[in-house]
Amino acid sequence: MDRLIYTALSGMRASMDQQRVTASNMANAQTIGFRAEELDRRPVTLRGEALEVRAMQQGEVRGADMRGGEVFGTGNPLDVALNGEAMLAVQAPDGSEAYTRRGDLRIDASGMLMNGEGLLVLGADGPISVPPGGQPQLSADGAVTVRDPAQPLAPATEVGRLKLASPAGSQVLKGLDGLFRVVGGGVLPADEQATIVTGSLEQSNVNTSQVLVEMIDAQRLYAMRSKLIATAGDIDESGASLMRLS
Amino acid sequence: MPTNALQVASTGLEAQGHRMQVIANNLANVGTSGFKRDRANFATLAYQDARVAGQRSSAQTAYATGLNLGTGVALQSTSQIVTQGTLNMTDQPYDLALDGNGYFQVERPDGGLVYTRAGNFSLSADGQLVTQQGFAVQPTITVPEGTTGVAIAPDGTVTAMLPGQAEPSEVGQLQVAQFVNPAGLRAIGDNFLQETAASGPAQLAAGGEQGRGNIRQGMLEQSNVNIVEELVAMIECQRAYEINSKMVSAVDNMLQNANQTLGR
Repeated sequence: MDRLIYTALSGMRASMDQQRVTASNMANAQTIGFRAEELDRRPVTLRGEALEVRAMQQGEVRGADMRGGEVFGTGNPLDVALNGEAMLAVQAPDGSEAYTRRGDLRIDASGMLMNGEGLLVLGADGPISVPPGGQPQLSADGAVTVRDPAQPLAPATEVGRLKLASPAGSQVLKGLDGLFRVVGGGVLPADEQATIVTGSLEQSNVNTSQVLVEMIDAQRLYAMRSKLIATAGDIDESGASLMRLS
Repeated sequence: MPTNALQVASTGLEAQGHRMQVIANNLANVGTSGFKRDRANFATLAYQDARVAGQRSSAQTAYATGLNLGTGVALQSTSQIVTQGTLNMTDQPYDLALDGNGYFQVERPDGGLVYTRAGNFSLSADGQLVTQQGFAVQPTITVPEGTTGVAIAPDGTVTAMLPGQAEPSEVGQLQVAQFVNPAGLRAIGDNFLQETAASGPAQLAAGGEQGRGNIRQGMLEQSNVNIVEELVAMIECQRAYEINSKMVSAVDNMLQNANQTLGR
């Protein structure tokens, strides 16, 4: 039997992986701050004694589409959307500094500022905490100010400032927890120019019409590749019948 | 795992289905006084490592990046959007609204304390200020028989004209509860909310103190559900559901094709 079927099979596998990535993007079309993942496909040519006609298909998620999603108003004072390419620094479950675009912030019972995933939001010097009873407010440059309700006339005091990290010039990759980290470890510098929009959130940047096209594309390719295997079977069949002594 | 794309698409269907339930509940409570709308929060599910970066691709080379495939989405939580609802005049003396932060504290028959923003109270047979279910508002306010002109001040002081007296006298003091994280309160039905570890303990004080809202007599707070906004969300959710179901049929189609073409 010809080796063609293995080449076609690698293609079928890649199409199914592609479909899975597309399904995951589609499922996350409404996850706040989600960045669509991209599958990168490439031929892997097998080299050897024989004629080089076998190129296997291999796909891998190479990264995320970093375009911004649409920003919509929520009216909730603790919701923030980040302008430009800035990212919000949060503390990952393993204690390291990671980055996200998800800005639905809240205050937990002990007064710590965290995002919707329950990750502590980092300021210039670690996590930000709000004194009990205080009404936190965010300003466009990321400063967190708290008004003491006992003294309504006193100016609000700053309790911290969101670390708005700039990924410019460094390579960030999406990890297994969906958070971005610097390739090879390390932290991103804070961008003093970065701004946020309060009372808004950033939608996922998954483009549904594009995702539908990708879905149909993968579906049809899969069918073509399975056809290849069937054809390889036919070729073998006719070869075998030629050799038959009858 | 060939059918994985199917499972990923089904997580999308399930999450959107739950979100629709949240939206339906918001719309159903558009006329409930003191109701705060919920928002559904989605989160990406864990990623799976099909291949780790650095794994060998041949004797001399290694893969530069891993192959991480997302496994879909889940409805992570619902959070209450605690914005102020509009105050409506009702002119009923025992209709109270909070103009700002805070909750009224109510004692259930089993002794447990619950919190509410729905201030449509009335008097029980023995003159106590109670909710529609007959649960006593805490601290208890008892209005003696035959009193006229009960007035509740913005800070919660209750005064009344007692029979046979020319001057109004104080009959009680209402308090307003406040929480560090009001979004963490658990809704238990009947407009009541319960304290949780996430919300922190209730802190009671007079109305208008330390950021608490003032109590407004003769008014009720409407729900903060915005019908237009919810309808837009509903359409959005419906379309997302549709698109995920298309994915299910596309993957189904692929597998069917493999069966037909290869399974001869």
